[in-house]
Amino acid sequence: MSEQRQALAPVKQRGFSIDAWAVLLAFVLAALVRAGVFKHIPW
Amino acid sequence: MASSIAVAQVRPVNPALQFLKIVPGVLLLAAVGYAGKLLEANVGKYAKAHHWTFPNIEYVLWAILLGLAISNTVGVPEIFRAGVATYEFWLKAGIVLLGARFLLGDVLKLGGTSLALVGIEIVGAIAFMTFLGRVFGLKPKLTSLLAVGSAVCGVSAIIATQGAIEADEEDSSFAIAAILALGALSLFTFPLIGHALHLNDHAYGVWSGLAVDNTAEAAAAGALYSDAAGKLAVLTKTTRNALIGFVVLAYAFYWASRGQAQAVGNKAKFLWQKFPKFVLGFLIISTLATAAFFSKEQIGALANLSRWAFLLTFAGVGLRTNFKALSKQGLKPFAVGAIGEVAIAGFTLGLVLAAQRIFGW
Repeated sequence: MSEQRQALAPVKQRGFSIDAWAVLLAFVLAALVRAGVFKHIPW
Repeated sequence: MASSIAVAQVRPVNPALQFLKIVPGVLLLAAVGYAGKLLEANVGKYAKAHHWTFPNIEYVLWAILLGLAISNTVGVPEIFRAGVATYEFWLKAGIVLLGARFLLGDVLKLGGTSLALVGIEIVGAIAFMTFLGRVFGLKPKLTSLLAVGSAVCGVSAIIATQGAIEADEEDSSFAIAAILALGALSLFTFPLIGHALHLNDHAYGVWSGLAVDNTAEAAAAGALYSDAAGKLAVLTKTTRNALIGFVVLAYAFYWASRGQAQAVGNKAKFLWQKFPKFVLGFLIISTLATAAFFSKEQIGALANLSRWAFLLTFAGVGLRTNFKALSKQGLKPFAVGAIGEVAIAGFTLGLVLAAQRIFGW
């Protein structure tokens, strides 16, 4: 019974959300551009 | 043997495997998006060389059309699906990077005007969709989901509200299908209406951001008109997204007061959980750009990174839209959504035209 309850208990989301990962990626890219690692991004 | 089964059941998903799982789909997004860019550059040239009259079709539309063609003919094979589903991730990263193209003063000025328009739009849209849901006899929670989806920000708002008001999965999938189908239609109808009414980039961009529900489709509908309209569509839509927490909280209170959802405990925590973090990222990058943290060349590089991220998003919009699957979701929610969306599009167009006169856009 207790095992069943444990299995049915909502799993707490760990780590970052997709939103937060997207922001993190954008910040890392901005930092790399600022540091001069990416000098020119073609389009 | 038993222990090995137990280990297999509790083993956490390997992050490296998860990453590898999305690679094929992300490559497909990039291939479809880049093919759109190549078609934009070459089809016009080819038509001109052969003296054909052919409209100049932007890469945005090519990428969406290619994605739609794949999704609605051969379909997206299983191996690509996880990666294709990352299109919203690229959208959010693209919006944050787009912050470099806005000075904070412009954001506050445009965002302030947008906020006022968004406030009127949200109240009007929720009231009208609730009325329509009652007229068509939809389930009250399905009506709430459709109202939030059309008033605030499409799929994210529906998912956030579903959890908060404890709505059925089925209601949620009906509402999402209706919003996505109507979002796909808006990609083709909005630019045509904008051109027919000779809307300038500013008015059209704000209108797309106000009336198109899903963020990816709002960005695409804006970019299909012009680059400047795309920027304003994203800014206006981001303002709408920023209000998601308040609307979901209001619905959570409403359903909790009727004893059909759990009461909200810590309101500040609830609002923070629902607040889209990419809005903050956008404001931070915009503040840094305003403070001259980036040189002119660096701002150009960030703007191009943002364009690449949007390119993946636009390819994803086409690839994940399957009209056959959407049509299976039932006619009534779609009819309510369609009538509501047409009314909201007309209402917001009126708002934008009035604002254009007042603010001299």
